Amino acid sequence: MPQGDYIERSIKENGRRLDYEERKRKKAAREVHKHSQKAQKTLGIKGKMIAKKNYAEKAQMKRTLAMHEESTSRRKADDNVQEGAVPAYLLDRENTARAKILSNTIKQKRKEKAGKWDVPLPKVRPVAEDEMFKVVRTGKRKTKQWKRMVTKATFVGPGFTRKPPKYERFIRPTGLRFTKAHVTHPELKCTFNLEIIGVKKNPNGPMYTSLGVITKGSIIEVNVSELGLVTPAGKVVWGKYAQVTNNPENDGCINAVLLV
Amino acid sequence: MVQYNFKKITVVPNGKDFIDIILSRTQRQTPTVVHKGYAISRLRSFYMRKVKYTQTNFHEKLSTIIDEFPRLGDIHPFYGDLLHVLYNKDHYKLALGQINTARNLIGKIAKDYVKLLKYGDSLYRCKCLKVAALGRMCTVLKRIGPSLAYLEQVRQHMARLPSIDPNTRTILICGYPNVGKSSFINKITRADVDVQPYAFTTKSLFVGHTDYKYLRYQVIDTPGILDRPFEDRNIIEMCSITALAHLRAAILFFLDISGSCGYTIAQQAALFQSIKSLFLNKPLIVVCNKTDLQPLDGLSEDDMKLVNEMKADALKTAIGQGGEGTDADVLLTMSALTEEGVIAVKNAACERLLNQRVEIKMKSKKINDCLNRFHVAVPKPRDQKERPVCIPPAVLEAKAKQAAAEEKRKTEKDLEEENGGAGVYSMNLRKHYILADDEWKEDILPEILDGHNVYDFIDPDILQRVEELEREEGLRQAEDEEDDFEMDGTELTPEQQEALIKIRRKKSVLINQHRIKKSTAESRPIVPRKFDKDRQFTTERMGRELSSRGLDPSLAINRMRSRSASRTGRKRERSPEGRDDGMDIDDDTPSKKQRLSRSRSRSRSVSRPPHEVVPGEGLRDSAQKIKAIKLAKKSVKKRNKNAKRGEADRVIPTLKPKHLYTGKRPKGKTDRR
Repeated sequence: MPQGDYIERSIKENGRRLDYEERKRKKAAREVHKHSQKAQKTLGIKGKMIAKKNYAEKAQMKRTLAMHEESTSRRKADDNVQEGAVPAYLLDRENTARAKILSNTIKQKRKEKAGKWDVPLPKVRPVAEDEMFKVVRTGKRKTKQWKRMVTKATFVGPGFTRKPPKYERFIRPTGLRFTKAHVTHPELKCTFNLEIIGVKKNPNGPMYTSLGVITKGSIIEVNVSELGLVTPAGKVVWGKYAQVTNNPENDGCINAVLLV
Repeated sequence: MVQYNFKKITVVPNGKDFIDIILSRTQRQTPTVVHKGYAISRLRSFYMRKVKYTQTNFHEKLSTIIDEFPRLGDIHPFYGDLLHVLYNKDHYKLALGQINTARNLIGKIAKDYVKLLKYGDSLYRCKCLKVAALGRMCTVLKRIGPSLAYLEQVRQHMARLPSIDPNTRTILICGYPNVGKSSFINKITRADVDVQPYAFTTKSLFVGHTDYKYLRYQVIDTPGILDRPFEDRNIIEMCSITALAHLRAAILFFLDISGSCGYTIAQQAALFQSIKSLFLNKPLIVVCNKTDLQPLDGLSEDDMKLVNEMKADALKTAIGQGGEGTDADVLLTMSALTEEGVIAVKNAACERLLNQRVEIKMKSKKINDCLNRFHVAVPKPRDQKERPVCIPPAVLEAKAKQAAAEEKRKTEKDLEEENGGAGVYSMNLRKHYILADDEWKEDILPEILDGHNVYDFIDPDILQRVEELEREEGLRQAEDEEDDFEMDGTELTPEQQEALIKIRRKKSVLINQHRIKKSTAESRPIVPRKFDKDRQFTTERMGRELSSRGLDPSLAINRMRSRSASRTGRKRERSPEGRDDGMDIDDDTPSKKQRLSRSRSRSRSVSRPPHEVVPGEGLRDSAQKIKAIKLAKKSVKKRNKNAKRGEADRVIPTLKPKHLYTGKRPKGKTDRR
């Protein structure tokens, strides 16, 4: 019975075919042509995948070639400029630094007054009510249409109990309730799976905020005790705001960016 | 439980290929076309099916991996330890555990997303959910990529492990590197183990099989062990230690007394002392190898002392088992190169192992199962007289002589071997020819002479045969004349002669029949008598035979005819009405019907008229049968659904009936109707 490294042993004892080297070389040479034939002939999704792979390879190859050629090409010589000194091409211009600084503070004061904050997604697409709610017909003859079912992701707190079903106007189905969010720290660039504490603001309206509907762009508060952040005073930070960056009802999960 | 054959594990694909396989299978095996105008439930089920199908495939493939890889706790501890030594038990378990977690995670993902899909209200949303589900499953799989690669390597290596049966008779060979263990196993088995001058040529266990006393023994060759503390041993040495620790085998400890392996006898003896604990309860034989370079007697004092110590230790184990105590059984010398003593070592090891195993079996409880099955029958002694074996003295003398003659006589094979073997010396087969003239022994015989093959005319008894032939020729002519007479020398009367002729004729007929039967008996199927296909057993034949004996056959023939098959279709005709008393036994005047029917049976060869209907098959009489036949014929006729007045009526009531000229085709092509 073949045991141990019988293949290598047999090669060592009996050697290889007399034309082994030649066959190997020719086969390797033919591989290139076969690859190109396959890429040209394959249809459908497989063809697209092959094309994608080939393109990625080509881009990578170009990048490496460019890197190698960097040293041989000529570059513009950038003279080192000292701090505070004006670079050579600005010598004839006037100094507008201070004015710029002034206008920046004025701009920030204005933003504070307006209540606009510096968030990753300042503008989001508005969601219409008929997209947000689905009408549920009730009653013996199914003619009453005062109930609505939420079709987007929602958050209900841990102590949540429904109103008696006869009287509840907004139905938040359990399948669409989320408790956790994937929160990315913008500076550390890593993502954590953190619990949601509550929905702070939904840009589509206060009604949605009170219902706990989470859409793209809504601000949620998450439990960051995992991260171990500490205030300068020494207190442990355990809740922080994050803004949702995807459409949770389409992806099945909530992705958010922490607002530091 | 997976036995010691790990060659049947399916290949573990690597992460990327795994994902590709599953996703392309989903794309091929589930419906692909969907439009946004479909009913929402149809859209939902379309995408749910894809998610579920992918999850099922992942589950299936991962389950096969988990099930096929052996669990280290379930296999024999020898293999469990060996796999631990080679692949690190923890790493192995972790890898399999990761695959299991991945399987569970994928199941959870599929469940969650199928739940979410129920709330999908548009094609775009369902599609996004499906893409998210499949993507998450593939991410899970990408994370276990390294485990899959590790398991694939483990599988490839496991498939090359030798299949060692831990429970059968085993001989284990151990010792320092380069002492000649692999050469020994190459000599006694058909295993082809690499033998090289450098140490650690053998890097893993090798197994070969050999026979002794009609039983098969496994011989296991181990890599060499160096004398080191246990913790410092590397993987290769640990393989040997595992084999020594777990297998109940006869142990051959090899000693290189010439020192050409590069290690002195002192070092080897030190190794022996350090692994002595592994030799408990196992038959141990110390084998001194390479005696062609250095005979055992030529060793120095110290070396001899060490060797004797080892021998004493080995003796102790031997006495512990079977109480033997012969020196030759525990210390043997051999040389693998010149092959002297190789067979002796093998036989000694096999013998010791066999004895030990038999003893253990006798002591165990299992022996009762075997003992019940055999029974040595000994004739009961009827008196106290002793009856020893009786061999006639002539036979004893002959035996002795034969033995002596066999020893004295030199066979051609011995000569051949002396002169160099089969390829070098060709035997002189003509040396012992018995010919009339001894000078003819070396003559070459021609094959063709005068256009004839010589061999057709050669025969050792040819002269004798020629004489016999001539005699026969002369005799046969005389024989034909005296044919019938002379049985005992007395003449026979004419009746007796006739009888004799008849008897002879009959005898020759019988003999011919028997010959035919015998010659074709095996190829010919035997047809039982009731299917008389040759029509041997006819009433004519019976009539002839009976009349030849002088008996009247007519009664018998009538009886047979009355029972014949042609009559069974006929219901017995009722006896004519009006007979109240059933005392009419001798009814010699049957009715006309009965007479007619009976007379018909006499002439069986007359065919029936075409209109005749025979009752039978469950029908009472001919009239009923005629009715039944009519009904059957009528039912086959086609119904006149088109209300045609006859065959030639070609009227079409409506030229363009509406039900045939309205409606669309499913494909939209209505060129013609």
